[in-house]
Parts: sequence; structure tokens; C-alpha cells
Amino acid sequence: MLARTVTHALVGIDPRRVEVEAHIQDGVPSFAIVGLADRACQEAKARVRSSVAAAELRWPGPRITINLAPAALRKEGSGFDLPIALALLAASYQVPIESLTGHAAFGELGLDGRLRPVAGALVAAEGARRAGLTHLVCAAESAPEVALAGVAPVGVRHLGEAVSYLRGEHEPLEPPPPGDDFDVLACVPDLADVRGQERARRALEIAAAGGHNLLLAGPPGTGKTMLARRLPGLLPLLGDEAALEVTRIHSVCGTLPPAAGLVRVPPFRAPHHSSSVAGLIGGGAGSLRPGEVSLAHRGVLFLDELPEFQRPVLEALRQPLEDGFVSVARVAMRAVFPARFQLIAALNLCPCGGRGDPAARCVCTPERIQRYREKLSRALLDRVDLAITVPRPRGQELAGPAGERSAAVRARVLAAREQLRSALPARTSLAEELLGRAVERLPLSGRGHARVARVAATIAALAGDPDVLPEHVAEALSYRVPRDADG
Amino acid sequence: MSELATALFAASTESHLVDEPRSARFERFCAELDEPAVLGDLDRRGIRWVARGAAEYPARLRRIHDPPPGLFIRGAAELSLFDRPCVAIVGARACSAYGAAVAAELARGLARAGVLVVSGLARGVDGAAHRGALDTGTTVAVLGCGVDRDYPRAHRLLAASIAERGLIVSEYPPGVEPAPWRFPARNRIVAGLCDATVVVEARERSGALITADLALDEGREVLAVPGEITSLLSKGSNHLLRLGAIPVTCLGDILAAVGVEPVKAVPISLEPRLEAVRAAVADAPAAVDELVRKAGLPASVLAAALAQLELAGVVLQADGLYRVVMPAGSD
Repeated sequence: MLARTVTHALVGIDPRRVEVEAHIQDGVPSFAIVGLADRACQEAKARVRSSVAAAELRWPGPRITINLAPAALRKEGSGFDLPIALALLAASYQVPIESLTGHAAFGELGLDGRLRPVAGALVAAEGARRAGLTHLVCAAESAPEVALAGVAPVGVRHLGEAVSYLRGEHEPLEPPPPGDDFDVLACVPDLADVRGQERARRALEIAAAGGHNLLLAGPPGTGKTMLARRLPGLLPLLGDEAALEVTRIHSVCGTLPPAAGLVRVPPFRAPHHSSSVAGLIGGGAGSLRPGEVSLAHRGVLFLDELPEFQRPVLEALRQPLEDGFVSVARVAMRAVFPARFQLIAALNLCPCGGRGDPAARCVCTPERIQRYREKLSRALLDRVDLAITVPRPRGQELAGPAGERSAAVRARVLAAREQLRSALPARTSLAEELLGRAVERLPLSGRGHARVARVAATIAALAGDPDVLPEHVAEALSYRVPRDADG
Repeated sequence: MSELATALFAASTESHLVDEPRSARFERFCAELDEPAVLGDLDRRGIRWVARGAAEYPARLRRIHDPPPGLFIRGAAELSLFDRPCVAIVGARACSAYGAAVAAELARGLARAGVLVVSGLARGVDGAAHRGALDTGTTVAVLGCGVDRDYPRAHRLLAASIAERGLIVSEYPPGVEPAPWRFPARNRIVAGLCDATVVVEARERSGALITADLALDEGREVLAVPGEITSLLSKGSNHLLRLGAIPVTCLGDILAAVGVEPVKAVPISLEPRLEAVRAAVADAPAAVDELVRKAGLPASVLAAALAQLELAGVVLQADGLYRVVMPAGSD
């Protein structure tokens, strides 16, 4: 007897429809899974066999063949356990075959028949919706994620529960409504925790308003990381479409907090400087998985100790910074991941970290400092709009009152973004003249000129001015990326 | 037998020669040397050769006790440059931001007053002095290797702009690689070309102090820029002051030492808003956050004012600290 269920495999962050066929015939007892199933997928045999027993169902046989179609697509992971089990049970008449119409299934089984959530439930659900299916049988924990895709989740905790649902004996639990109503920003660190650091706060505000990439230089322990972590709290919440896109990526990577609903707060990612190219950009040996740049999509990518990253990693950042996506190609497959993030990079002024710190002494030779700074390619620095040096706060600053709260800054940022969207402020003739003088006097390249102009427009919008005035250009000049005089 | 032969022989034997040696080896060397061919080759590469006997040979250099047999010269400027009053600005390679700012500003002022600034193209103070001088005039770099070797490599662009508007000189023929023992010899040329030597920042045993010693030996003026007594970087330069070097408190001190009339710089009149910020920076180098408290202005307004002051050449930013480059009334 033959029966079919439908599930979806992940290719990058996209779903691919996979039909699970179960065939039972007479002959020598065997249990085979064919159709390019990987190790985790092959091990489904043991899990399915135990689960069927745990659900007090009959193990069909003797000769069982499971085919995962299309056979040319490599199948990975444990999400096939449930569809395999259901196909098998349908083929042995233990669940009615017609009850599977309109249903997809996705989930990992335990030896006791329990259903475990698998990363990528949101993508599998999107696949089901596109395939015209109305229901997705999945682990109860995955139900909120599945509901986001517009497919009715059938959240179950046990294989037995899934079977009784399909037999029409029992209705699944309604998933709890996604927690969209509580204040998501309450969990984001607040700018009020930062004392002093007026210049850095201002630069952060401008970066938030204009979506500019930011470079923070300064000795260790001056709060560069603390500042960077507060940027997501200044950015607008993600709209429905963007939130779904971000949630999908995080679903595939399994970094979604349980039952959190859509990711509304722009994500913040801070990969360590020992990260590999594949870790940052995406890839991997088997399936292609999104990297940190995609996890930071629509959010903030913070690279601390920028010059300590390997050179190939820094070079690989150029494509996402330029295009807003990465395309990863391997022999067997290729994938395109969105990666439109805002970059905050931090570095010390010298390798030993002593430079610029009155409390420490720098022991670096000029050659060593030069090598340290040369690691940052011009191509990367050209993508940075704002650069500031963060000094070590003095004792009196740390004892001072708390700074302005994120909420107040955020209100200004939102207003400025609104203005930048409706009409880009234009430079007055005086402002134009000042910018021209700066190009002559300072080492300012053509690209540097364009960046200063962009930042000046953002500053004008923050001030609520319809025109870019000379003082806006002047302030923008103070954030220009320093160019080594001989570089 | 000529000065050129001596210079080439010294380079090929890695020795330091001032006069023609009397040896069979040198005679063999001269017999094999095709002097017109060497001169033709130098000419093709745009390198001039000035022998000690030539009229263009710098007069001050000829007066030291071991003048080089001649100079290889790269660069577009006239050799009459050396007839101007000359001042050497030397100091630490690993200088502070303050040292670099002072060297550049003094060089700028000297070049504006028509004084030729000479230095050694090293990192730190030397490079800052060359850059400052190029802003308002011209400069001469003395190398401890062939003039075709841009050493250090980090200064190759600087060397190119000096070659465009000034001169790069060396007693070594093209192709000679830098070697540690050649630098003190180079320093004698730096000191020998100049009426006065200014030491900006120097550690206790710095090459800049060798230059100062050589200048003293030849009876030239030695000046030093006072530095913090707690900083290792100013130990050598402060020691010079204790020994009687002229302290440099402003550009005028150097001009007086070489007898040049200061040119009246166009006084920069700042609007009151900028003047207030300048005054706040003038006390001591400060980060923006300190100035916010001091001047009572928001960071945004302050940033705009500081950028305008930077554009006007009044303040300078390094490692997050703003400092005033030109103390009021220095020119």
C-alpha cells in the first residue's frame, strides 16, 4: 500500500516542497529511506520505529520503503520524522489517507513519541501556504511561528495526539496569541544607562536617523560596546513585511526566542573577531545557512576589535555592505540571503590599547600601529559615514546624572526619518561653499565628500530644518573618517 | 680622480669617505670607472650630482669638518634653495600628537617666512615637519640611503610631493640600501646644511640628539621645544634645554635665532561663538565631552564649531583630543 505526506525542506532560507512516500509490501523485513537523505534523516528510522511503539500503534511491515521526492534534492535534518511516521501510518490504514489532504507535517520525534520543535518551522509553513495547504502538523512549541505564515497550525505534543487529530477524535490546542501586545522595547538596553559621552550619543542619534554606518575608535573600556548595544532601541520597529523576513532568517537559524511572535525590534548581532567567513557571510559544509550578516538583516551588525578580524572576513563584508544581500555558492547549490544591516565597528587606537588612554601607556611602535590600521581596507572604510573617537570618561562624568532616555532620542529619530523620506534637505549656497572649502583644505576624497553631504542632510533633518545649513555641514565634517595623511 | 669616484667607491666598499683614499684598490676602481656613462645614467633618471668643488654645492655644508664629497639630488627645485636661511626640524619617530602638531606648525611658519626647512624624512616629527613646510613653501629631505629609495616606505607619497616642489638629497649613490650606521652620517648633513637645528621631541638617546650634537660641533644654533617633564618623549629635548639650548616658545624664537624678519600673518578674526570654543580648547587639549561641560554647549553645536576651527587651521584633532595649533599672537 502506498501513502503520501507533504513537508518542506530548507534550501538556504527558502522552502522546497518534498513529498514523503511510504510503501509497504511483502517480502524480507526491511526499512529503507531513499531520496538523498543525510545522516540525521536516515536516523529517523530509529526514532519513527520507537515513536510508533510508544504511541501504542502497530508497526507495519514487513518491507517498508520511504521515498523522499524530488530524489535529487539533498534532505537534511530531523524535520522529516513526523511526515515519515504519518505516511507510514496512513499506508498501513492506521490514519485515514484522506485526512492528510490539505495538511503538511514538520517535526522531530523523540523515542517516547514526543514531538520536538525544529528550526525553520516558519519557512516550512510558508512553503505549505504557497503549496496551497491549509494546515501544518507540527510541535506545539512551533505553533506560534507557523501561525505567522498564515497557515493553521496543528500543534501537537505527541505522535499519538497527531494520530487522534487525523482520525478526527480530537481538536488541537489553540496556540497562544503571539505576544505582540507587550512593550518589546522594554527588553532593549536604554541609552539612559550611558553617562557622559555626549559626542558618542550624538553620533549614535545621527547614525540611527540616517541609517549610517558608524566607526567607534578608542581605548578599551570606554563603552564602545555599551553604546553599540543601544542602537536597536533608537531605530523604528520593523514593519510587517520586514519583520516576517527577519523572523524567517532567525527561524532557520534557530535563534528565535520561544513564543515571541514576529521579531519587531531590529536585531543586534555581535560576532566575535575569530569568526570565519562562512560564519559571518553564510554557508557551511552541507546545507547553506545564513551567516551573521543575515541574522543582522534590518538590524545592527557590531564588529568589535575590527582590525582583529581575518582579512578575508573583512573583504567578504564588502558585498553585503554594497548590495544588501550575499550570494553564497557551493558545488551542489547556491543561495541568496538578504543582508541589509547597519554596521557599527569598534577598534582601539593601537594594538596594545594604551593609546589615547591617559591612565595607560602605549608601548606600540609606529610600524605596529601602521600595520594595525592598514588592516582596514579603504574599501571597507569607504562604507563608513561617521567616525568618532570615544575618550575614556572621567570620574566626574560617571558620577553625573543619567543621560537622556532612548525613548526621547527615538522620537527625534523617527521624525527625522519621516522628513528624510518625504523630502531630502538641500544645501544652501553658504553650506555648499563651506563644503567646497573643506574639500580643498582637508584630505577629503570624492566619496568622502558624498558621505559628508549625506550626514549633513541627516543632521538637518534631525534639527527639523528644510535646508542644510553651514553648521550642519560643519558638524558632519567633524565625523569624517580620518585618512592617514600618507595613505 | 674625482669626487664622484670617491662617492661611488665609498658606496661600493660600504665605507665612510670624505677625501680620496690613497690605495691601489681605489686606483683600480678609478681606472675601471666610466664617469661620463655614470653621469649620463644619473641624468636619464633625473638625478643631479653636485660635487664638493662645484659652485652650487651648499656653502654651509662645505664648511663642516667632514663635508661629503658630493650630493646626489632628486627633485625639481633650484639648488639656490640652499642659499636661503635653513633650519632643521628633527625629533622622535614615535612622537606624540602634540609633537607632530608643533613640528608641522613651526615648519609651516618657517616656510612662510622664506626659511628652508630641512629634515630626514623619518616617521613622526620629521614627516610632520616636511608636511607642514610643503603647506606654505618648500622643504629638503636628507636620506641615509640612495635618493631613489623611498625610505621609510610609509612616506613614499610624501617623498613624491617633496620631489615635486623641493629636493631630496643624499651623499649615497642611487640604489644604496638604508643601514643603521648611515643615519648618524646623514644627520651630519642635516645639521651641516642648516643655520639652526630645532629638536621637537626626543627620548634620552635619540638620533635627534646626535643631530643636535653635530650642529653644536659646527657652531650652529641648537633650539629645543620644551616638553612635559614627566614624559619620556621629552627627556632628551629638555636635557638639551638644561645644557643651554634656546627654548622654542613660539615661531619668533627660531626666526630670531637665524636672523629672519617674521612676516606678519594675516590675523584670523573669529566670530565670538568660535572664539569662545577656541578659548576653551586653548587651556589644554580636550575631548569633545570635556568641552561640552566647559563651554556649556551641546555636543552638536560644539562639533560644528570645532570643525570650522579645524578648517580655519586653528585647532587640530588627534586621537579624539582637540588642541589649538596656533597660540594667540604666535606669529
